[in-house]
Amino acid sequence: MKLGALIKKEFHRFFRDPRLIVTMLLPGIAIFLLYYFVGEAVYAEPEKYEFKVCLVGSSVCTQLIEEAIADGTENTVEWLECDDPEAAKEQVEKGEASALLLFSEGFDTSLDRPSVTIVYDPLSDESAAFHAIASAVLREVGMRYTLAEESVASAEQMGMEVMQSILPFIVVCFIFSACMSVTLESVAGEKERGTLATILVTSVKRSEIALGKVVPLSCVSMLGALSSFLGMAFSMPHLMGVSLGFLGMYGFLSYLMMFLLILGMVPLIVALVSVLSAYARSVKEASAYSAVVMIVIMAVSLLVSFVPMMGAWSAAIPVLNAVVSLQEILSGHMVLWKAFLSVGMNLAYTGALIFLLARMFSSERIMFGK
Amino acid sequence: MEEIVRAENLTKTFTLSKKQQRIERAEIARRVAVDGLNFSAYRGEIYGLLGPNGAGKTTTLRMLATLIRPDSGDAFLAGHSVVKEAGKVRDVVGFLTSDLKLEGFFTPDYLFDFFGAMHGVDKATLARRKKELFERFGIDKFAEVRVKNLSTGMLQKVSLVISIVHDPEVVIFDEPTNGLDVITAKVVTDFLTELKGMGKSILLSTHIFSLVEKLCDRVGIIIDGKLAYEGMLSEIDDLESRFFGLYRSIKGEEV
Ligand SMILES: Nc1ncnc2c1ncn2[C@@H]1O[C@H](COP(=O)(O)OP(=O)(O)OP(=O)(O)O)[C@@H](O)[C@H]1O
Ligand SMILES: [Mg+2]
Repeated sequence: MKLGALIKKEFHRFFRDPRLIVTMLLPGIAIFLLYYFVGEAVYAEPEKYEFKVCLVGSSVCTQLIEEAIADGTENTVEWLECDDPEAAKEQVEKGEASALLLFSEGFDTSLDRPSVTIVYDPLSDESAAFHAIASAVLREVGMRYTLAEESVASAEQMGMEVMQSILPFIVVCFIFSACMSVTLESVAGEKERGTLATILVTSVKRSEIALGKVVPLSCVSMLGALSSFLGMAFSMPHLMGVSLGFLGMYGFLSYLMMFLLILGMVPLIVALVSVLSAYARSVKEASAYSAVVMIVIMAVSLLVSFVPMMGAWSAAIPVLNAVVSLQEILSGHMVLWKAFLSVGMNLAYTGALIFLLARMFSSERIMFGK
Repeated sequence: MEEIVRAENLTKTFTLSKKQQRIERAEIARRVAVDGLNFSAYRGEIYGLLGPNGAGKTTTLRMLATLIRPDSGDAFLAGHSVVKEAGKVRDVVGFLTSDLKLEGFFTPDYLFDFFGAMHGVDKATLARRKKELFERFGIDKFAEVRVKNLSTGMLQKVSLVISIVHDPEVVIFDEPTNGLDVITAKVVTDFLTELKGMGKSILLSTHIFSLVEKLCDRVGIIIDGKLAYEGMLSEIDDLESRFFGLYRSIKGEEV
């Protein structure tokens, strides 16, 4: 009951202050606008495409792709049967063909893990659009086979891919700042203003005070995280230059995991900033500490953005694990157990930090030291 | 007379940080703030802990309110040990100092309910006490005004009322009139007299002689963390000269 009152108080404080709510909703809007305009700048208005696709080998999947292409658009596709993959690749590079689909022999029937490769040019709108549709269809069909994607663009031309790979980094930054603004105010602010001490003279348990901070502040910060997630989810298809709709790009499970990963980071960061805030003597000091932590996290997650496919050990490192998993999902290589492990690990770290926070609230040195 | 507060050899030593040592130009790394303090206050009395700056008054009261733990010794409030039963002590004590603030964003009405919940007071009792106390101290008209918009006097009243939301047996008050103008100071002293009328036991600290003379039934003089004197105020004819006599005998003639 005491915990309930503590949680209600934080919510009361927050939801009566419109300014705070706006700060929470801004990140998502910012991400969406940022990526919307980047997408806009890179891809012109969706045109009517007449795909010419080189085909090596055959599969019923081509029919599914055809249906997906025709679905609701005036786009058409023409299959060019080829024998020589190298020659076909060259055609894609030169822009004479939209893409190359390479099915291994007996693709539809073989049980020996058949493979399919899409060769495309991400710098051509047409080619990128075909790639987006084809890869979405192939993923939906199931992973009975190996799907490889090969881009013919050279490394420095891959601006969009860079944008895609730093997206997790941007999300982490926004989440961190959302959590920071709320938590600094509430924990360091209350300590500095002496209102936390007023609660400490009552008989409420210190662990309840700790939970009474982390739980509601996480909920509030999740608004910010949710807004980041929606901004991200809605800008992704646009970013890829095709309007495949919300779920078209990645499939439900991927989106669910992205959502869990983002939400899982929130209590962790809130608890972390709470601990720093409880330690600091003033809001100013607490924001200095948090800024240092934020810079470290930012640097690490930016680094991760450019080092694809981190080892499994990354799942043990707080925040970083979520960034790695998000990046894997965005690049279409989700490792489900790693994503779940990341969420679980982050929750465990949160628990440990809440415990520490409760200890800090009972420490006279930290709460009342001069 | 029934003992309501008893301090037994209360001792508290602070370790000074390097920075603090520099600021206070102290060579020693440790400072004994309270040094084997013994005293007793009785039910229904106003007990004044009188002492100069740095005598250890705030430290003593914070130990009694369980905000900090004594290094050794113990104190009992309504029979509960501050060392062993901190939770129980918090429920029988109302603690007030200017360091404890109320969040300006909330209204007195909200804060009263909130702190009532913190002490585990049930809803019906809380509603009854709120009505009674708010009316008695004229807060009812301001119950829905955010605390940050209240006048200093009204804010002081709200703080006072909230500190006794759980109907504590003992009210501890550190420097009740420090930094207040005469009007607000009167609000506080009237409140304390009123509390005494309600049968509460009050323990306050101060360095102001007149406050002790006006309010207290009993006084304990604390110098360098030790009790130098304790007695009924009615037995002392001149508090000030009594104090300086003690002070000189402890500190030497330099004052
Ligand atoms: N947290 C702390 N860390 C280090 N030293 C402290 C701490 N709290 C108090 N002291 C020191 O202990 C001594 C007693 O302090 P205390 O605040 O109890 O005195 P006081 O009687 O309340 O004085 P005042 O009239 O100035 O309020 C002082 O020398 C003070 O500097
Ligand atoms: Mg003091």
